Amino acid sequence: MCGLGKVFTESRLVPALFVLISGCATIPPSVSELPESGRAIELEGTPFYPQERYQCGPAALTTVLAMSDADVALDDVVSKVYLPGRQGSLQFELMAASRTAGRMPYRVDGTLKAIWKELEAGRPVLVLQNLGVAAIPRWHYAVVVGIDAERGQIILRSGTHKRRVTPIRTYLHTWRRGDYWGMVVLEPGELPAAVDRSRYFAAVTALEEAGRAEAAAAAWRAALRQWPGDTVPLFGLANAYLLLQDFAAAEKAYRDLLEQDRSLLAARNNLALTLAGQGKYDAAMEEIGVALSANRDPAMEKELKNTEATIRRRVASGER
Amino acid sequence: MGLHRARGALLRLVSVAIICMGFTQAAPAGMIGTASLLDDESRAASVSRVEILLARDDVAGQLAAFGVDRSLVVERLNGLSNAELLELEGQLDSQIAGGDLLGVIGAVFVVLLILELVGVTDIFKSI
Repeated sequence: MCGLGKVFTESRLVPALFVLISGCATIPPSVSELPESGRAIELEGTPFYPQERYQCGPAALTTVLAMSDADVALDDVVSKVYLPGRQGSLQFELMAASRTAGRMPYRVDGTLKAIWKELEAGRPVLVLQNLGVAAIPRWHYAVVVGIDAERGQIILRSGTHKRRVTPIRTYLHTWRRGDYWGMVVLEPGELPAAVDRSRYFAAVTALEEAGRAEAAAAAWRAALRQWPGDTVPLFGLANAYLLLQDFAAAEKAYRDLLEQDRSLLAARNNLALTLAGQGKYDAAMEEIGVALSANRDPAMEKELKNTEATIRRRVASGER
Repeated sequence: MGLHRARGALLRLVSVAIICMGFTQAAPAGMIGTASLLDDESRAASVSRVEILLARDDVAGQLAAFGVDRSLVVERLNGLSNAELLELEGQLDSQIAGGDLLGVIGAVFVVLLILELVGVTDIFKSI
Protein backbone atom coordinates (compact mmCIF):
# COMPACT_ATOMS: atom_id res chain seq x y z
CA MET A 1 0.00 0.00 0.00
CA CYS A 2 2.61 2.49 1.06
CA GLY A 3 4.56 3.80 -1.86
CA LEU A 4 3.25 1.31 -4.37
CA GLY A 5 0.93 3.90 -5.85
CA LYS A 6 3.86 6.21 -6.17
CA VAL A 7 5.75 3.87 -8.45
CA PHE A 8 2.88 3.53 -10.85
CA THR A 9 1.74 7.12 -11.17
CA GLU A 10 2.90 8.53 -14.42
CA SER A 11 4.32 11.73 -12.96
CA ARG A 12 6.56 9.68 -10.69
CA LEU A 13 7.65 7.23 -13.31
CA VAL A 14 9.64 9.71 -15.35
CA PRO A 15 11.91 10.86 -12.51
CA ALA A 16 12.19 7.24 -11.40
CA LEU A 17 13.38 6.27 -14.86
CA PHE A 18 15.74 9.20 -14.88
CA VAL A 19 17.24 8.10 -11.58
CA LEU A 20 17.54 4.59 -12.97
CA ILE A 21 19.36 5.75 -16.08
CA SER A 22 21.52 8.38 -14.40
CA GLY A 23 22.17 5.90 -11.62
CA CYS A 24 23.90 3.71 -14.17
CA ALA A 25 25.82 6.55 -15.73
CA THR A 26 27.11 8.18 -12.56
CA ILE A 27 29.03 6.59 -9.77
CA PRO A 28 26.76 5.57 -6.89
CA PRO A 29 27.81 6.49 -3.35
CA SER A 30 30.53 4.19 -2.09
CA VAL A 31 33.02 3.78 0.72
CA SER A 32 35.74 5.19 -1.53
CA GLU A 33 34.33 8.73 -1.07
CA LEU A 34 35.27 8.75 2.58
CA PRO A 35 38.34 10.68 3.68
CA GLU A 36 41.55 8.77 4.20
CA SER A 37 42.30 10.10 7.63
CA GLY A 38 40.00 9.53 10.59
CA ARG A 39 38.32 6.49 9.18
CA ALA A 40 35.64 6.25 11.84
CA ILE A 41 33.28 8.76 13.39
CA GLU A 42 30.37 8.30 15.78
CA LEU A 43 28.19 10.77 17.62
CA GLU A 44 27.78 8.63 20.70
CA GLY A 45 25.91 11.32 22.56
CA THR A 46 22.96 11.25 20.15
CA PRO A 47 19.85 10.49 22.21
CA PHE A 48 17.70 7.48 21.48
CA TYR A 49 13.92 7.35 21.27
CA PRO A 50 12.76 3.79 20.71
CA GLN A 51 9.86 3.88 18.30
CA GLU A 52 6.34 2.69 18.83
CA ARG A 53 4.70 0.71 16.04
CA TYR A 54 4.81 2.58 12.70
CA GLN A 55 6.37 5.61 14.38
CA CYS A 56 9.93 5.61 13.12
CA GLY A 57 9.28 9.08 11.62
CA PRO A 58 8.50 10.85 14.91
CA ALA A 59 11.27 8.93 16.71
CA ALA A 60 13.91 9.81 14.11
CA LEU A 61 12.83 13.45 13.94
CA THR A 62 12.83 13.82 17.72
CA THR A 63 16.35 12.38 17.75
CA VAL A 64 17.81 14.97 15.35
CA LEU A 65 15.82 17.84 16.90
CA ALA A 66 16.99 16.95 20.40
CA MET A 67 20.59 16.70 19.15
CA SER A 68 20.14 20.23 17.80
CA ASP A 69 19.04 21.40 21.28
CA ALA A 70 15.49 22.07 20.17
CA ASP A 71 12.91 21.88 22.91
CA VAL A 72 10.92 18.80 21.87
CA ALA A 73 9.04 15.88 23.33
CA LEU A 74 8.38 12.69 21.39
CA ASP A 75 4.61 12.76 22.03
CA ASP A 76 4.42 16.26 20.68
CA VAL A 77 6.34 15.29 17.54
CA VAL A 78 4.05 12.28 17.04
CA SER A 79 1.04 14.61 17.01
CA LYS A 80 2.76 16.72 14.34
CA VAL A 81 4.03 14.12 11.90
CA TYR A 82 2.27 10.81 12.37
CA LEU A 83 -0.43 10.19 9.77
CA PRO A 84 -2.78 7.53 11.18
CA GLY A 85 -4.48 6.72 7.86
CA ARG A 86 -1.12 5.94 6.26
CA GLN A 87 0.50 4.35 9.32
CA GLY A 88 3.58 6.43 8.73
CA SER A 89 4.98 9.92 8.22
CA LEU A 90 5.51 11.98 5.08
CA GLN A 91 8.87 13.56 4.28
CA PHE A 92 7.23 16.98 3.85
CA GLU A 93 5.64 16.73 7.28
CA LEU A 94 8.99 15.91 8.89
CA MET A 95 10.35 19.07 7.31
CA ALA A 96 7.31 21.13 8.34
CA ALA A 97 7.55 19.95 11.95
CA SER A 98 11.26 20.85 12.01
CA ARG A 99 10.30 24.40 11.06
CA THR A 100 7.61 24.70 13.72
CA ALA A 101 10.19 23.43 16.22
CA GLY A 102 12.36 26.42 15.29
CA ARG A 103 14.83 24.57 13.09
CA MET A 104 15.59 24.60 9.36
CA PRO A 105 15.45 21.28 7.52
CA TYR A 106 18.05 20.91 4.79
CA ARG A 107 18.32 18.01 2.39
CA VAL A 108 21.89 16.73 2.21
CA ASP A 109 23.52 15.35 -0.92
CA GLY A 110 22.83 11.66 -1.36
CA THR A 111 26.43 10.63 -0.71
CA LEU A 112 28.33 9.02 2.14
CA LYS A 113 30.72 11.95 1.99
CA ALA A 114 27.88 14.39 2.73
CA ILE A 115 26.77 12.29 5.71
CA TRP A 116 30.37 12.07 6.92
CA LYS A 117 30.79 15.84 6.77
CA GLU A 118 27.57 16.44 8.70
CA LEU A 119 28.67 13.95 11.35
CA GLU A 120 31.98 15.81 11.60
CA ALA A 121 29.97 18.99 12.22
CA GLY A 122 28.16 17.19 15.03
CA ARG A 123 24.88 16.66 13.21
CA PRO A 124 23.32 13.21 12.83
CA VAL A 125 21.47 12.68 9.52
CA LEU A 126 17.85 11.58 9.26
CA VAL A 127 17.54 9.18 6.31
CA LEU A 128 14.77 7.40 4.44
CA GLN A 129 15.40 3.73 3.72
CA ASN A 130 13.37 1.15 1.92
CA LEU A 131 14.09 -1.98 3.92
CA GLY A 132 12.04 -4.05 1.51
CA VAL A 133 12.29 -4.06 -2.25
CA ALA A 134 10.57 -1.89 -4.83
CA ALA A 135 7.60 -4.26 -5.18
CA ILE A 136 7.23 -4.84 -1.43
CA PRO A 137 8.37 -1.55 0.06
CA ARG A 138 8.98 -1.09 3.72
CA TRP A 139 9.70 2.58 4.17
CA HIS A 140 11.71 3.37 7.23
CA TYR A 141 13.25 6.47 8.78
CA ALA A 142 16.45 6.12 10.78
CA VAL A 143 19.23 8.39 11.99
CA VAL A 144 22.84 7.89 10.91
CA VAL A 145 25.05 8.61 13.92
CA GLY A 146 28.29 7.05 12.77
CA ILE A 147 30.36 5.60 9.95
CA ASP A 148 33.21 3.15 10.40
CA ALA A 149 34.92 3.03 7.04
CA GLU A 150 37.59 0.68 8.34
CA ARG A 151 35.08 -2.04 9.10
CA GLY A 152 32.65 -0.98 6.37
CA GLN A 153 29.84 -0.27 8.82
CA ILE A 154 27.25 2.39 9.35
CA ILE A 155 25.79 3.06 12.79
CA LEU A 156 22.14 4.02 13.15
CA ARG A 157 19.55 4.88 15.74
CA SER A 158 16.86 2.76 14.16
CA GLY A 159 13.47 1.53 15.32
CA THR A 160 13.96 -0.20 18.64
CA HIS A 161 17.73 -0.53 18.15
CA LYS A 162 19.77 2.02 20.01
CA ARG A 163 22.92 1.19 18.08
CA ARG A 164 22.15 -0.68 14.92
CA VAL A 165 25.30 -1.59 13.01
CA THR A 166 24.72 -2.27 9.32
CA PRO A 167 27.22 -3.11 6.61
CA ILE A 168 27.68 -0.03 4.42
CA ARG A 169 26.88 -2.08 1.32
CA THR A 170 23.51 -3.12 2.72
CA TYR A 171 22.80 0.38 3.90
CA LEU A 172 23.52 1.79 0.45
CA HIS A 173 21.01 -0.64 -1.11
CA THR A 174 18.26 0.43 1.28
CA TRP A 175 19.15 4.10 0.89
CA ARG A 176 19.20 3.91 -2.91
CA ARG A 177 15.65 2.56 -2.79
CA GLY A 178 14.82 5.59 -0.62
CA ASP A 179 16.15 7.83 -3.42
CA TYR A 180 19.17 8.74 -1.24
CA TRP A 181 16.95 11.04 0.80
CA GLY A 182 18.50 12.47 3.93
CA MET A 183 18.13 15.68 5.92
CA VAL A 184 19.71 17.54 8.78
CA VAL A 185 18.06 20.13 10.99
CA LEU A 186 20.02 23.36 11.28
CA GLU A 187 19.76 26.05 13.86
CA PRO A 188 18.74 29.19 11.95
CA GLY A 189 22.03 30.88 11.12
CA GLU A 190 23.94 27.61 10.87
CA LEU A 191 25.17 26.53 7.44
CA PRO A 192 25.23 22.87 6.42
CA ALA A 193 28.68 21.27 6.18
CA ALA A 194 28.51 21.25 2.38
CA VAL A 195 26.18 24.00 1.28
CA ASP A 196 24.43 24.21 -2.06
CA ARG A 197 23.42 27.80 -2.78
CA SER A 198 20.03 27.30 -4.40
CA ARG A 199 18.99 24.46 -2.09
CA TYR A 200 19.90 26.57 0.94
CA PHE A 201 17.96 29.56 -0.43
CA ALA A 202 14.89 27.38 -1.06
CA ALA A 203 15.16 26.04 2.50
CA VAL A 204 15.20 29.56 3.95
CA THR A 205 12.36 30.71 1.71
CA ALA A 206 10.33 27.80 3.07
CA LEU A 207 10.93 29.19 6.58
CA GLU A 208 9.59 32.56 5.41
CA GLU A 209 6.50 30.93 3.93
CA ALA A 210 5.96 28.89 7.09
CA GLY A 211 5.74 32.15 9.01
CA ARG A 212 9.13 31.80 10.75
CA ALA A 213 10.41 35.27 9.86
CA GLU A 214 12.83 35.54 12.75
CA ALA A 215 14.47 32.22 11.87
CA ALA A 216 14.55 33.25 8.21
CA ALA A 217 16.31 36.52 9.12
CA ALA A 218 19.05 34.62 10.96
CA ALA A 219 19.45 32.19 8.07
CA TRP A 220 19.65 35.01 5.48
CA ARG A 221 22.32 36.77 7.56
CA ALA A 222 24.36 33.58 7.51
CA ALA A 223 23.84 33.40 3.74
CA LEU A 224 25.17 36.94 3.37
CA ARG A 225 28.32 35.97 5.23
CA GLN A 226 28.75 33.07 2.81
CA TRP A 227 27.76 34.95 -0.38
CA PRO A 228 28.34 38.66 0.32
CA GLY A 229 26.26 40.97 -1.85
CA ASP A 230 24.05 38.19 -3.23
CA THR A 231 20.67 39.74 -4.05
CA VAL A 232 18.52 36.78 -2.92
CA PRO A 233 19.52 36.85 0.76
CA LEU A 234 19.48 40.68 0.72
CA PHE A 235 15.89 40.58 -0.54
CA GLY A 236 15.03 37.74 1.86
CA LEU A 237 16.41 39.60 4.86
CA ALA A 238 14.48 42.74 3.94
CA ASN A 239 11.31 40.65 3.58
CA ALA A 240 11.92 39.09 6.99
CA TYR A 241 12.14 42.57 8.53
CA LEU A 242 8.91 43.58 6.79
CA LEU A 243 7.18 40.44 8.09
CA LEU A 244 8.43 41.25 11.58
CA GLN A 245 7.10 44.80 11.07
CA ASP A 246 10.55 46.23 11.69
CA PHE A 247 9.86 48.90 9.08
CA ALA A 248 13.02 50.96 9.65
CA ALA A 249 15.31 47.97 9.13
CA ALA A 250 13.23 46.79 6.16
CA GLU A 251 13.37 50.21 4.48
CA LYS A 252 17.14 50.38 4.82
CA ALA A 253 17.56 46.83 3.50
CA TYR A 254 15.32 47.44 0.45
CA ARG A 255 17.09 50.73 -0.32
CA ASP A 256 20.53 49.08 -0.09
CA LEU A 257 19.36 46.36 -2.42
CA LEU A 258 17.84 48.80 -4.92
CA GLU A 259 21.03 50.81 -4.92
CA GLN A 260 22.78 47.63 -5.98
CA ASP A 261 20.15 46.64 -8.54
CA ARG A 262 17.58 49.27 -9.57
CA SER A 263 15.68 46.81 -11.73
CA LEU A 264 14.38 44.65 -8.85
CA LEU A 265 10.74 45.65 -9.00
CA ALA A 266 9.69 43.13 -6.36
CA ALA A 267 11.97 44.95 -3.92
CA ARG A 268 10.50 48.31 -4.96
CA ASN A 269 6.98 46.96 -4.49
CA ASN A 270 7.84 45.78 -0.98
CA LEU A 271 9.65 49.05 -0.22
CA ALA A 272 6.40 50.87 -1.03
CA LEU A 273 4.53 48.66 1.44
CA THR A 274 7.22 49.30 4.04
CA LEU A 275 6.88 53.05 3.58
CA ALA A 276 3.10 52.77 3.82
CA GLY A 277 3.54 50.79 7.01
CA GLN A 278 5.34 53.81 8.45
CA GLY A 279 2.59 56.16 7.28
CA LYS A 280 4.80 57.64 4.52
CA TYR A 281 2.07 57.34 1.89
CA ASP A 282 3.41 59.92 -0.57
CA ALA A 283 6.81 58.28 -0.70
CA ALA A 284 5.12 54.90 -1.04
CA MET A 285 3.04 56.03 -4.03
CA GLU A 286 6.14 57.51 -5.62
CA GLU A 287 7.99 54.18 -5.43
CA ILE A 288 5.03 52.36 -6.97
CA GLY A 289 4.95 54.97 -9.72
CA VAL A 290 8.65 54.43 -10.47
CA ALA A 291 8.13 50.68 -10.53
CA LEU A 292 5.07 50.87 -12.79
CA SER A 293 6.82 53.05 -15.34
CA ALA A 294 9.86 50.77 -15.43
CA ASN A 295 7.87 47.54 -15.64
CA ARG A 296 7.25 45.55 -18.84
CA ASP A 297 5.88 42.34 -17.33
CA PRO A 298 2.07 41.89 -17.17
CA ALA A 299 2.19 39.62 -14.09
CA MET A 300 4.32 42.14 -12.21
CA GLU A 301 2.01 44.94 -13.38
CA LYS A 302 -0.88 43.18 -11.66
CA GLU A 303 1.11 42.91 -8.42
CA LEU A 304 2.14 46.56 -8.54
CA LYS A 305 -1.42 47.75 -9.26
CA ASN A 306 -2.65 45.66 -6.35
CA THR A 307 -0.13 47.24 -4.03
CA GLU A 308 -1.06 50.68 -5.34
CA ALA A 309 -4.73 49.97 -4.61
CA THR A 310 -3.88 48.68 -1.13
CA ILE A 311 -1.97 51.84 -0.31
CA ARG A 312 -4.75 54.06 -1.72
CA ARG A 313 -7.31 52.26 0.42
CA ARG A 314 -5.19 52.85 3.49
CA VAL A 315 -4.86 56.54 2.66
CA ALA A 316 -8.63 56.79 2.12
CA SER A 317 -9.46 55.10 5.40
CA GLY A 318 -7.29 57.71 7.11
CA GLU A 319 -4.91 55.14 8.55
CA ARG A 320 -2.04 57.24 9.81
CA MET B 1 -29.96 21.08 -6.45
CA GLY B 2 -29.14 24.79 -6.64
CA LEU B 3 -29.49 25.05 -2.88
CA HIS B 4 -27.22 22.07 -2.44
CA ARG B 5 -24.58 23.66 -4.60
CA ALA B 6 -24.85 26.99 -2.78
CA ARG B 7 -24.43 25.17 0.51
CA GLY B 8 -21.33 23.43 -0.80
CA ALA B 9 -19.84 26.73 -1.92
CA LEU B 10 -20.64 28.30 1.44
CA LEU B 11 -19.05 25.43 3.34
CA ARG B 12 -15.95 25.73 1.19
CA LEU B 13 -15.76 29.46 1.84
CA VAL B 14 -16.09 28.93 5.58
CA SER B 15 -13.42 26.26 5.60
CA VAL B 16 -11.07 28.48 3.57
CA ALA B 17 -11.77 31.28 6.05
CA ILE B 18 -10.86 28.98 8.94
CA ILE B 19 -7.66 27.92 7.20
CA CYS B 20 -6.79 31.59 6.58
CA MET B 21 -7.27 32.36 10.25
CA GLY B 22 -4.71 29.73 11.08
CA PHE B 23 -1.88 31.68 9.42
CA THR B 24 0.69 32.30 12.11
CA GLN B 25 2.22 35.34 10.53
CA ALA B 26 0.23 36.63 7.60
CA ALA B 27 2.31 38.48 5.05
CA PRO B 28 1.13 42.05 4.50
CA ALA B 29 -1.24 42.25 1.55
CA GLY B 30 0.77 42.87 -1.60
CA MET B 31 4.15 41.69 -0.35
CA ILE B 32 6.11 39.76 -2.97
CA GLY B 33 7.86 36.80 -1.33
CA THR B 34 11.50 35.81 -1.66
CA ALA B 35 10.48 32.79 -3.75
CA SER B 36 9.99 35.19 -6.68
CA LEU B 37 13.79 35.55 -6.94
CA LEU B 38 14.63 31.87 -6.68
CA ASP B 39 15.95 30.41 -9.87
CA ASP B 40 13.93 27.25 -9.75
CA GLU B 41 11.20 26.28 -12.12
CA SER B 42 8.76 25.32 -9.37
CA ARG B 43 5.23 26.53 -9.83
CA ALA B 44 5.23 28.03 -6.34
CA ALA B 45 7.10 31.15 -7.40
CA SER B 46 4.37 32.31 -9.74
CA VAL B 47 1.13 31.13 -8.17
CA SER B 48 -1.37 33.47 -6.61
CA ARG B 49 -2.26 33.72 -2.97
CA VAL B 50 -5.70 32.31 -3.74
CA GLU B 51 -4.17 29.19 -5.29
CA ILE B 52 -2.03 28.68 -2.19
CA LEU B 53 -5.10 29.04 0.01
CA LEU B 54 -6.99 26.50 -2.05
CA ALA B 55 -4.05 24.07 -1.84
CA ARG B 56 -3.96 24.66 1.92
CA ASP B 57 -7.65 23.91 2.15
CA ASP B 58 -7.24 20.75 0.09
CA VAL B 59 -4.30 19.46 2.16
CA ALA B 60 -6.21 20.25 5.36
CA GLY B 61 -9.08 18.08 4.14
CA GLN B 62 -6.74 15.26 3.21
CA LEU B 63 -4.94 15.34 6.58
CA ALA B 64 -8.27 15.15 8.36
CA ALA B 65 -9.38 12.32 6.08
CA PHE B 66 -6.23 10.39 6.98
CA GLY B 67 -7.10 10.65 10.65
CA VAL B 68 -5.33 13.79 11.86
CA ASP B 69 -7.23 15.42 14.71
CA ARG B 70 -8.97 18.58 13.45
CA SER B 71 -7.42 20.65 16.23
CA LEU B 72 -3.94 19.74 14.96
CA VAL B 73 -4.50 20.23 11.23
CA VAL B 74 -3.83 23.97 11.11
CA GLU B 75 -0.65 23.69 13.13
CA ARG B 76 0.61 20.98 10.82
CA LEU B 77 -0.20 23.07 7.75
CA ASN B 78 1.67 26.06 9.13
CA GLY B 79 5.08 24.44 8.78
CA LEU B 80 4.67 23.71 5.06
CA SER B 81 6.10 25.92 2.33
CA ASN B 82 4.03 26.98 -0.66
CA ALA B 83 5.86 24.58 -2.96
CA GLU B 84 5.18 21.73 -0.54
CA LEU B 85 1.49 22.62 -0.26
CA LEU B 86 1.17 22.61 -4.04
CA GLU B 87 2.94 19.28 -4.31
CA LEU B 88 0.74 17.71 -1.64
CA GLU B 89 -2.48 19.08 -3.13
CA GLY B 90 -4.53 16.06 -4.16
CA GLN B 91 -1.46 13.82 -3.76
CA LEU B 92 -1.31 12.85 -0.11
CA ASP B 93 -2.09 9.22 -0.79
CA SER B 94 0.71 8.79 -3.33
CA GLN B 95 3.45 10.18 -1.08
CA ILE B 96 5.85 7.83 0.64
CA ALA B 97 4.81 7.34 4.26
CA GLY B 98 7.78 5.98 6.20
CA GLY B 99 6.50 3.81 9.00
CA ASP B 100 7.80 0.26 8.65
CA LEU B 101 4.51 -0.86 7.21
CA LEU B 102 5.01 -3.71 4.79
CA GLY B 103 3.41 -2.85 1.47
CA VAL B 104 0.04 -4.59 1.62
CA ILE B 105 -0.34 -5.27 -2.07
CA GLY B 106 3.22 -6.57 -2.11
CA ALA B 107 2.59 -8.87 0.82
CA VAL B 108 -0.58 -10.18 -0.79
CA PHE B 109 1.38 -10.75 -3.98
CA VAL B 110 3.99 -12.82 -2.16
CA VAL B 111 1.34 -14.91 -0.46
CA LEU B 112 -0.35 -15.51 -3.81
CA LEU B 113 2.98 -16.38 -5.38
CA ILE B 114 3.69 -18.96 -2.67
CA LEU B 115 0.19 -20.37 -3.00
CA GLU B 116 0.76 -20.57 -6.72
CA LEU B 117 4.11 -22.30 -6.36
CA VAL B 118 2.74 -24.94 -4.00
CA GLY B 119 -0.11 -25.52 -6.41
CA VAL B 120 -2.97 -24.16 -4.32
CA THR B 121 -3.92 -21.46 -6.81
CA ASP B 122 -3.78 -21.10 -10.56
CA ILE B 123 -3.96 -17.34 -10.99
CA PHE B 124 -0.83 -16.46 -12.89
CA LYS B 125 -0.83 -19.10 -15.59
CA SER B 126 -4.20 -17.91 -16.80
CA ILE B 127 -3.02 -14.33 -17.26
